[in-house]
Amino acid sequence: MLPDLYINGFACLKGDADATQCAPYLDVRSLRRAEAVSKNALLCACQALAQARLTPQQRADMGISLAMGAGALSSTIKFMDSIVEDGDELSSPTAFANSVHNSTSFLLSSLLKITGPCLVTGQMDASFAGALLTAQQLLAQNMCPQVLVTLAEDVNPLLAQVLQKEPHRFDPYVYQPQLPPVRVAGALVVSAAPTDTTRAVLKNITLARTDDTAAHTQPQLAVQSCAHSLLLLADYLQTPQTFDLQEQFAGMIFALRGEPYVHP
Amino acid sequence: MTSSFKVPVAGLGLLCACGSDVSSAFDGALTGRAYFALPAARVCSTYTSKFPVFMVPPADCEGKPADITYSQFFFVQAAKQAFAQAGITPQQLNAKRVGVVVGASVHPSFHCFEIYKNWKTGHFTSTDVDGLYDYLSSPLAQWISQYFGFSGPFQTVVTACAGGTDAVGLAKSWIETGLCDAVLCGGTDEISQSPYDGFIRLLVSTPQRCKPFSKNRTGINLGEGAAALLLTHPQLAKDLHLPCQGYVLGYGNAADGFHPTAPQPQGLGLQRAFAFAMRQAGLTPQDLAFVNVHGTASQANDLAEATACQAILPGVPVWGSKGVTGHTLGAAGAVEAVLSLQALKERMLPATVGFEEPDENLHLIPTTKNTPIAKRFAVSDSLAFGGCNAAVVLGASDAA
Repeated sequence: MLPDLYINGFACLKGDADATQCAPYLDVRSLRRAEAVSKNALLCACQALAQARLTPQQRADMGISLAMGAGALSSTIKFMDSIVEDGDELSSPTAFANSVHNSTSFLLSSLLKITGPCLVTGQMDASFAGALLTAQQLLAQNMCPQVLVTLAEDVNPLLAQVLQKEPHRFDPYVYQPQLPPVRVAGALVVSAAPTDTTRAVLKNITLARTDDTAAHTQPQLAVQSCAHSLLLLADYLQTPQTFDLQEQFAGMIFALRGEPYVHP
Repeated sequence: MTSSFKVPVAGLGLLCACGSDVSSAFDGALTGRAYFALPAARVCSTYTSKFPVFMVPPADCEGKPADITYSQFFFVQAAKQAFAQAGITPQQLNAKRVGVVVGASVHPSFHCFEIYKNWKTGHFTSTDVDGLYDYLSSPLAQWISQYFGFSGPFQTVVTACAGGTDAVGLAKSWIETGLCDAVLCGGTDEISQSPYDGFIRLLVSTPQRCKPFSKNRTGINLGEGAAALLLTHPQLAKDLHLPCQGYVLGYGNAADGFHPTAPQPQGLGLQRAFAFAMRQAGLTPQDLAFVNVHGTASQANDLAEATACQAILPGVPVWGSKGVTGHTLGAAGAVEAVLSLQALKERMLPATVGFEEPDENLHLIPTTKNTPIAKRFAVSDSLAFGGCNAAVVLGASDAA
């Protein structure tokens, strides 16, 4: 049986975090070499964890399920830049190490002292949905008592520039090409049962493939991105009402029902 | 959690440097035969005259359509083998809830190096725009699901070098929790500019053939390929009279939180992953015929892994197979799970190709010769950048 996901903490960020915003939670000097995409995710994780009020042991035991639509783009591009500009014999090993998806999950696990299971999903639009599915599986298998579901979406400068010239060349895989690209991050602390800090519950989470590649949903963001589902969720969570989040685009369907949680 | 739920594997597929199918690859593991070559035809780097890799032989790449990546091509070949072995077509499963879970690293990353270089140097053309379109329109697991006509959930697992093991473990969970009736899972990866240069620049690649767990080991060799496993619910296997190639019995995963590229030296995360997977399978180390280790032949990996094996799986024979496959990154865990299931099936544990002399710091000697085995269970594990560790417990088709 798949559990419902009780949301015990939630934070979302559109744009870039200032590292000093993390100061209440950790030593910001540890972020000096971190990429913006990772810092954004970390700030959201810190805020969500603060809401969830976990003990250090509860935090250590929790799992991480990270969604990255297109990976650590900034570092990937830095590494390719270093090959193009300096030649492969002088290319940057640091940029390469930071270019793997796990570089962001490492920042979360190391700085937040989380040593439970850790998985990353990378599949464009469907990444956030995949991360929620993974959280359900980790909880269903009792692999951890709570999961930090995190989203970290970077910006692709090449794609952004191409879109300026040919905005509809990537239909239906790119949305709202006229908008400037923006980094987005978010974090949810979820469990299979309510806790003292539970504010909502997600039910009937569905991710399926469809042959219909038309975009039936109009996301708020430029460029293909897994972040629009998160932003929709953020909007819904502002209101104390039951909601149905349903998105269909680019050959996939993602749906869930959200309900506010009323403590007995 | 102890699970009595055994998820049957109906079909296996494999394509890598040591063979173009499961049988030939396992024969390659027994004999040490593999295609180990300089990748000049595939990668444009000044290193290609010095650092060979384990590649899928050119003959096995024939027929690859120009508009898909090697990662896609390799996985489709492996998946077709898995369906053939299961004696079923993808169409026969279309009415069922069929999921796809695939581990990979190159395809899900923005490693469009030639396109990016053309853009950077002012040589960007409409052909490059087409390449960008292909990149955007083919998230790996979703593309595979579409290729075979499935409509269930899909997931591309990108936990770097642990992705293949995680994919097999998640697939087991998807069936056990009732999310799917069947799951096509595995991993796929390809030799590509960024990881090729990247691992060399991190000083972990070696120009020699790798020597896992050897005192004189000098580093890793990259590899490429794909492995596919068709997992089904036991009831579906029974209803469709599917053959059984073995079982997936347990899955564990834990983070080190220690270092961006190196494992925790005592392998503490891997120890927790091992322990959880074994507990879920309801087995003890005495039940195991072997553990197929990650065994990249890097100094740090082999130390952490040897320590974790001794702590959680004492006395269990250790087999490393990267001496014939290379390090296939996101595919590695799936490749090794398939080789492990084949070893259980053939009741033969291969030697660790490349191992030469014991390292007194490791206190571990891997298999040194091909050896018959009687026990019916095995473990396969992976470690990854970022401190991700994963392990699966596997059983032979006749495992009690």
